[in-house]
Amino acid sequence: MNLKFRNKKITGILSVMPENEIQFDDEIENYNFSRQQSMKLKLVMGFDKRRVVSKGTGISDLCVFGLNYLIDHGLLKKEEIDALVLVTQSPDYFMPATSHIIHGKLGLKHDVYCTDISQGCAGYSFGLNKAFMLLEQEEINKVVVLNADILSTKVSHKDRSSAPLTGDAAAITIVENDPEGEVIYGSVKADGSGSDALIIPAGAFKMPSSEETGVLEVDKSGNEKSMDHFNMKGDEVFNFVQREVPPMIENLLAKAGVSKDDVDFFMFHQPNKFMVQQLSRMMEIPESKMPNNLVENFGNANSVTIPNLIAHNLSDRIKEESFRICVAGFGNGLSWSSLLISMGQLDFCEIIDYK
Amino acid sequence: MEKYINTMKELLEVDDLDLNDELSSFDAWDSLTNLSVLAFCSSEYGISLTADEIEEAKTLKGLKELIESRQ
Repeated sequence: MNLKFRNKKITGILSVMPENEIQFDDEIENYNFSRQQSMKLKLVMGFDKRRVVSKGTGISDLCVFGLNYLIDHGLLKKEEIDALVLVTQSPDYFMPATSHIIHGKLGLKHDVYCTDISQGCAGYSFGLNKAFMLLEQEEINKVVVLNADILSTKVSHKDRSSAPLTGDAAAITIVENDPEGEVIYGSVKADGSGSDALIIPAGAFKMPSSEETGVLEVDKSGNEKSMDHFNMKGDEVFNFVQREVPPMIENLLAKAGVSKDDVDFFMFHQPNKFMVQQLSRMMEIPESKMPNNLVENFGNANSVTIPNLIAHNLSDRIKEESFRICVAGFGNGLSWSSLLISMGQLDFCEIIDYK
Repeated sequence: MEKYINTMKELLEVDDLDLNDELSSFDAWDSLTNLSVLAFCSSEYGISLTADEIEEAKTLKGLKELIESRQ
């Protein structure tokens, strides 16, 4: 489905990284794999460092820490916040919505549109799309989009297909109206028939956690995980991404009437280094325009990877310059989405550590 | 090309190798090793190869020539 928005802009991005850094080299012993094979995985997938939360830290803590940082530094005023749009799959509670928890912790006014959206790796566009729609309302002038996930707590530490790449993080993106803004082109796609390709089978309402769902089982690749853990069919996901993402981008650029050369950066979701490189090879986009350096530095934090990638690679430049950026996410659902948006002269764009 | 030889020894998990050796003759040659070669060529030489191209190069010499032809 193609989308189009007018007169909107992003005015700031802040990433919040948990304080604990895990090294892949320290975890090799956990996996049912020889040291040499693990070193190859490291080389191919870009496994190196990742950030994870301490036990007891929830996504609301990361989000509130980042919002207070902005408020304390004069980059955001509490009373200006008209909407909180939180994209997450690791809420603090099943109820109430974590956006309301954040609203309460900050002590915001009652006239705030709070909403949680359950989307994974395709979720950055979903939060922005919601913000663009909300900004059509007369009383909404500033939307805070929050992307936050702490899925490291749901991966089995004996699962080398997930554990070494999963990181935790939160990001704050401020979206406002802009009478001068260029048209923003977007697309979203869904295929629920692939819903079991990336899933945490137990622990919610349909199959609550029990002794049975916590039993570790060894899969055909030698990875040990339970029904309470994140489960991924790696080959299906890999094929899905290769099949669907390049045509989605071709279509997006055609709708916008621009060529790949007209796009300054392709800021894609970062499942692992190899998959991003594979997409840049398939789409014949140079790696200099399609960064793939997030997983090795911070890990993959679901819908948070794209704002993290922008902050990690463009932090200083995007405060001074303006770029035409193509954003693309793809992940559980199955869900895939893209946006073509000009971003520049941001009020802030940085990564801070949670304390 | 010393880096090439040393990296290949590491990836193929052997102490010695001959450039005429076939890639598929090594016990450690599998899809992950192929991808490791692909990743090494990308980071070390800045070239993009496909897994199929690497297989088709057959020998270590063939792979070396393939890399050189792309640089």
